[in-house]
Amino acid sequence: MTQGNPMALLPLLLFMALMIAIGFYVRRSQKSGNFIQQYFIGNHDLGGFVLAMTTVATYSSVSSFVGGPGMAWQIGFGWIYMAVVQVTAIFLVLGIFGKRVALLSRKFDAVTVVDIIRERFQSDGLAAMAAFIIVLFFCGTMTAQFVGGAKLFAAVTGYSYSMGLLLFGLVVVVYTTVGGFRAVAFTDTCCAVMMMIGIVLLLYYVLSAGGGYTAVITGLEANHPEMFEPLSDGHMPVGLYLTQWILVGICTIALPQSVVRGISYRDTKSLHHAMIIGTVVIGFMNIGVNFTGILAHGILTGPLASYGGVDNIIPSTIVAAMPQALVGIAIIGPLAASVSTISGLLIVASSAVVKDVYLHHQKKRGIVPSTQKLRTLSMAATAVVGVIVFFIALTPPSLIWIINMFAFGGLETAFFWTLLLGLFWKRANRLGALLSMGGGTIAYCLTQGLGFKVMGLHQITIGITVSLLFFLLGTYLGKPEDKKVLAVFFPEKD
Amino acid sequence: MSEYEKYRQVCREAVWTGVTLLVLIAAWLVLGFGLAPLGGTVFGLSVWTLASTVGFWLFAVALVALLVHVVFRDMDLGADDGEARK
Repeated sequence: MTQGNPMALLPLLLFMALMIAIGFYVRRSQKSGNFIQQYFIGNHDLGGFVLAMTTVATYSSVSSFVGGPGMAWQIGFGWIYMAVVQVTAIFLVLGIFGKRVALLSRKFDAVTVVDIIRERFQSDGLAAMAAFIIVLFFCGTMTAQFVGGAKLFAAVTGYSYSMGLLLFGLVVVVYTTVGGFRAVAFTDTCCAVMMMIGIVLLLYYVLSAGGGYTAVITGLEANHPEMFEPLSDGHMPVGLYLTQWILVGICTIALPQSVVRGISYRDTKSLHHAMIIGTVVIGFMNIGVNFTGILAHGILTGPLASYGGVDNIIPSTIVAAMPQALVGIAIIGPLAASVSTISGLLIVASSAVVKDVYLHHQKKRGIVPSTQKLRTLSMAATAVVGVIVFFIALTPPSLIWIINMFAFGGLETAFFWTLLLGLFWKRANRLGALLSMGGGTIAYCLTQGLGFKVMGLHQITIGITVSLLFFLLGTYLGKPEDKKVLAVFFPEKD
Repeated sequence: MSEYEKYRQVCREAVWTGVTLLVLIAAWLVLGFGLAPLGGTVFGLSVWTLASTVGFWLFAVALVALLVHVVFRDMDLGADDGEARK
């Protein structure tokens, strides 16, 4: 398609202008004080609603809005049954790590997850490895978000892939660079609200265009009875349910982009509110968007191949069901999922470079960089990482969705035991963490590369098991941590 | 609250969060695979499809609200009394 739809472009341009305006507003309203704390963590000032929305928005990627509902269209209710396990993701990460990292970060003036790992295990090598893994896997995830968002933009608006990438790709890099974490949190909140509005709008028009709820469901029962079975006539094996519980449920508590939000909130009331609000919002999004995918059968009645694969189901549905004037609003939801994930990852990747590598190195040499220098470096690092990913996305690598899930599993393998055991098990030590993070990640990458699976399960099961075994081995072979360090992390009764 | 009391409380909250997860996994199994063989429809959908999605979600929200109100406690996130920040 070469002829674009200007009506679809206008709401998107207004939304992107709002994102940029928030970035500059946050920059102008920054108070004097510790620049690094402000830029990378928003000065511990997020309230419950914003904390919930930024955690949900960073977690929910464009694939939740495009690939997921496309699969629901193909599989049926078994897909929603599997996707709904994600309602556990927000309360788990905030409930297990929220207060722990908030208390520790205030003790050490920590602004990153790597800061806390460094203090716990007293290892620069482990911290460097953690920072490297974060930047590497985040770049993969961000590229997938850029590509997914730009492809959706092109399919729905009729404008080119490059134009979509240029439009929202540069916008997200600019507002993240200018406003830092606080801008990311506020824009994430707008994005999450737009995602919900987009779902409601799309659901309404899908039902309307499909002849109403009863007509769509009756047609589905007659033509696709297997879509009403949990195993969907063999399309949803039990093993897939198991690995999804691990991959997008339980192990997501260790994603650095989620854990770092535990450092950012104002007080414990905010955390408690966020746990409830986050569970409400993530459930609404997951069920709503995937149910919409199933109901799209009322409009898209042909075989999957005629739409060009599951990733084209939602774009085709938007084009077929929505009035021209509302297409631009409907597409904001999935694109908001894309930009909010990119911004959340970008600021954490930038903090890994500036805080975890540069600033720590300078501190060891006894050099204290000026605030102006830190400001310039932080913004430059954010911009450079963003622009690099942007250029990779200009010539998109193939199998981009596989790269996305690969990165997701890699981060979980690297950080799950290191964070969980490191912060709650006194005996956990440096050697265990080093072996677990390094060995687990290598095992995960190798088995992914070779396509090796155990009982057909996703390689996350291998990565997480190897990572645990290495952790236990290292802990029992290595020396216990220094008593002074342990006293800070595990206070004893006076 | 002393540093020790905060630490104990945080551990207690983490353990109960884990227990909540286990309860939710059990509920998810019962509401989905458990109800699937049974008949009956609600809003034109078989019972398990509604119970395992919307029902599970609402149950999760109620359980998290209960967890927060019963187990979680407010605390000052700063240092213990008299202990300066590093």
